Amino acid sequence: MYIIGNLSLYLGIGIAFYSIILYVWGLKNKNNKMINSARGGVLSLVLLSSIATFLLLYNLGTSQFQYKYVAAYTSENLPLVYKLTAFWAGNAGSLLLWLFLLCLYTGFLVFSKEKRNPMMPYVSIIMLLNILFFFIVIVISGNPFEMTETIPADGKGLNPMLQHPGMILHPVTLYLGYVGLAVPFSFAIAALILKRMDAEWIKLTRRWTLVAWVFLTLGNIIGGWWAYLELGWGGYWAWDPVENASFLPWLTVSAFLHSVMIQERKGMLKTWNISLVIISYLLTLFGTFLVRSGVLTSVHAFGDGNLGAYFLIFMVFMIVLSLYVVLTRYQLIKKETNPIESYFSKESSFLLNNLILVGGAFAVLWGSMYPLISEALTGTKVNVGPPYFEKVMAPILLGLIVLMGICPLIAWQKATFERFIKSALWPLIAGVISAIILVAIGIKGSFAIVGLASTVFMFASHLKEFYDGIRARRKATKESVAMATCKLLVKNQRRYGGYIVHIGIAVIAIGVISSHAYVKDTLQTVSVGEKVEIGDYQLTFNGLTEHSKNGNGIVVAALETSYKGKSVGTINAEKIFYETWPEPATEVAIKTNWKEDLYVVLSSWESKDKATFQVKVNPFVSWIWFGGMLMVFGTAIALIGGKTTTSRVYKMGIQHKKAGV
Amino acid sequence: MLFVLLLFFLSSPTSVWANFDYNAKEFQEVVNQLDMQGHSNDDLATCKVKQMYYKEVQEMLDEGMTPEEIIEFYVAEYGQSALKEPAKDKSGLIAWSMPIVGVLTGIAVLFYWLKRGKKKVSVDSSVPEIAWESEEDKEITEKIFEEERRKHF
Repeated sequence: MYIIGNLSLYLGIGIAFYSIILYVWGLKNKNNKMINSARGGVLSLVLLSSIATFLLLYNLGTSQFQYKYVAAYTSENLPLVYKLTAFWAGNAGSLLLWLFLLCLYTGFLVFSKEKRNPMMPYVSIIMLLNILFFFIVIVISGNPFEMTETIPADGKGLNPMLQHPGMILHPVTLYLGYVGLAVPFSFAIAALILKRMDAEWIKLTRRWTLVAWVFLTLGNIIGGWWAYLELGWGGYWAWDPVENASFLPWLTVSAFLHSVMIQERKGMLKTWNISLVIISYLLTLFGTFLVRSGVLTSVHAFGDGNLGAYFLIFMVFMIVLSLYVVLTRYQLIKKETNPIESYFSKESSFLLNNLILVGGAFAVLWGSMYPLISEALTGTKVNVGPPYFEKVMAPILLGLIVLMGICPLIAWQKATFERFIKSALWPLIAGVISAIILVAIGIKGSFAIVGLASTVFMFASHLKEFYDGIRARRKATKESVAMATCKLLVKNQRRYGGYIVHIGIAVIAIGVISSHAYVKDTLQTVSVGEKVEIGDYQLTFNGLTEHSKNGNGIVVAALETSYKGKSVGTINAEKIFYETWPEPATEVAIKTNWKEDLYVVLSSWESKDKATFQVKVNPFVSWIWFGGMLMVFGTAIALIGGKTTTSRVYKMGIQHKKAGV
Repeated sequence: MLFVLLLFFLSSPTSVWANFDYNAKEFQEVVNQLDMQGHSNDDLATCKVKQMYYKEVQEMLDEGMTPEEIIEFYVAEYGQSALKEPAKDKSGLIAWSMPIVGVLTGIAVLFYWLKRGKKKVSVDSSVPEIAWESEEDKEITEKIFEEERRKHF
């Protein structure tokens, strides 16, 4: 097993190197035989990375403690699912996961229907450079097949915080997003090398970019859900450097997904789009550098060995390569870029949206790096924590929400103000009415009210778009509402899929604003029979009990709960003492309804009859998870539809011409 | 009897005498600003560092210190890194102003670019379009231009 595992890694280096050489040679000599052989090399890499992956899974699943990685992250009594997910608990395993996904993406690309595209060998070379780097780094600094000197009787076990369904999905989805961004990057570089500055590379990578973006979205949402349920501090986003590292490419790719529409339709923003793709990819490397180097303190960081340095070198290499390719072709991109015709148009509003998204990314990057910058410049480290990010990002994100409400209502090319006001009237009225209602029912906090009203405006402007579309269809075809809605979605998946994503963001925004501005929190010590009162909830402490499960000691605090005077059952807040872990873990008791979460943490106890609880009422948190699902649903719809209206119209025109109409 | 009562009061833990519990506004005001060596977002139930800070802050409040004095004490002890965010005075100016500078620069660049684009559009529209003899001619010329461009850039 040891030999096969290591052999697959070392062979991987050789074959990746071989494939790159053959691609370059084949391109230089226009030799298809060599290019086909290099393509075969990619297939071998998929096979080798799969072998390494399955071997590690086997080792973890069968508790082969002779391997350092298995002994460090699993133990005999760990449930099988967590033995397997310990795959990405440490540096070595997560690097292998990254490599495996990278090989899979490359395999799909190289053998896709676009395999004969002249760009594909260049794309493959860029992807192979990534693969080669990961194979080398795994062998040098993170080999999951390294053996222990003496075989331990049992492993150290998995960090209890990672023993949660969220941790089964969060790293995989996030890595699928990170790795996926290498594809549009490779296409952009390939297009630049070939001096093909039309929108072809964008059309070819649209689905790949959307897939990467939706996985980044899912990764971030699931990460927030896990933090909320598992970390016990009652929040879901702590503006931790590593969380920020995954948020940064999400922001820039979101900007790209919008600006790309302008290039597809109008041939504008070519330099900008290429820059966004390159920056997004580099930000994934930067994020990984942060996680692996340990330069910044984070609960998510691995930070051991020289991995950070290797990632830094690779990142610098990719920056230099990108800069060289962009600068040598800059005049070409510039030459072929069309300007925008009107200040007041959808194009301009998309530009503004890009500015806000990229500005937000800059603010997050600046805040994440400032502790390092301040230490380097003044010798004193200055922390930049959640209060800073909340103050800086709140107006930026508010601006984004308002713009998201405006954008769909503005026409392409040249809009008129009168027409816009006519379209925006009802959404604006909805926003204002919602603000009046919030004030009337006694909601405090002007910024939160403005935020919620803006979200209602944004939501209403999207509903109006759906309403107008359905009404127009019904008028023309006399279809039923359900049929018209379905057909509207089917006929223009990209547009309406995007709108559903926006609605998902509106739902998330309501959750985020409410849970930040209107959280109720108390820390109380109670004896058996005593009550904790918070919001509409009343909790009666019924005492502590103790039992063991899988060798772990569990202390359970039972709390009888009533909501608005009606009993809603008993909830159990737990503290788990793991056999293989020094720190106890918290199991939060949560009672959810559509408008709020009752969140209870067993903080400490003096005896079986007296304990301290941290109790929170977090409004609308479940909306965040629901909004995330809506975003995924919307993206799925947008992914199914591939053609823009313009390209369809163009195609129809050709067909008509051919038919002699 | 008085002696016994005095002895009881003196031997009682400070929490009995605490004027400020963890829910007190002043207490929350202080702990919400402290970074607690990177542990401020940890679960209070399991994080020893956070528990120690909570106890310290409560004791200081009970001793009569104001929230401002406690914050000053921590900044004097650990420097600016004691807090979760940069100071809002001159020392934190760069930290707070950079995002604003970034966004404003973006807006300036955007408007410059739009203005330049608009100028170009008006210049382009004033130049009469070349009349091609046939579509084929136009295509061939475009292809030649394209090849030349690729060669030179």
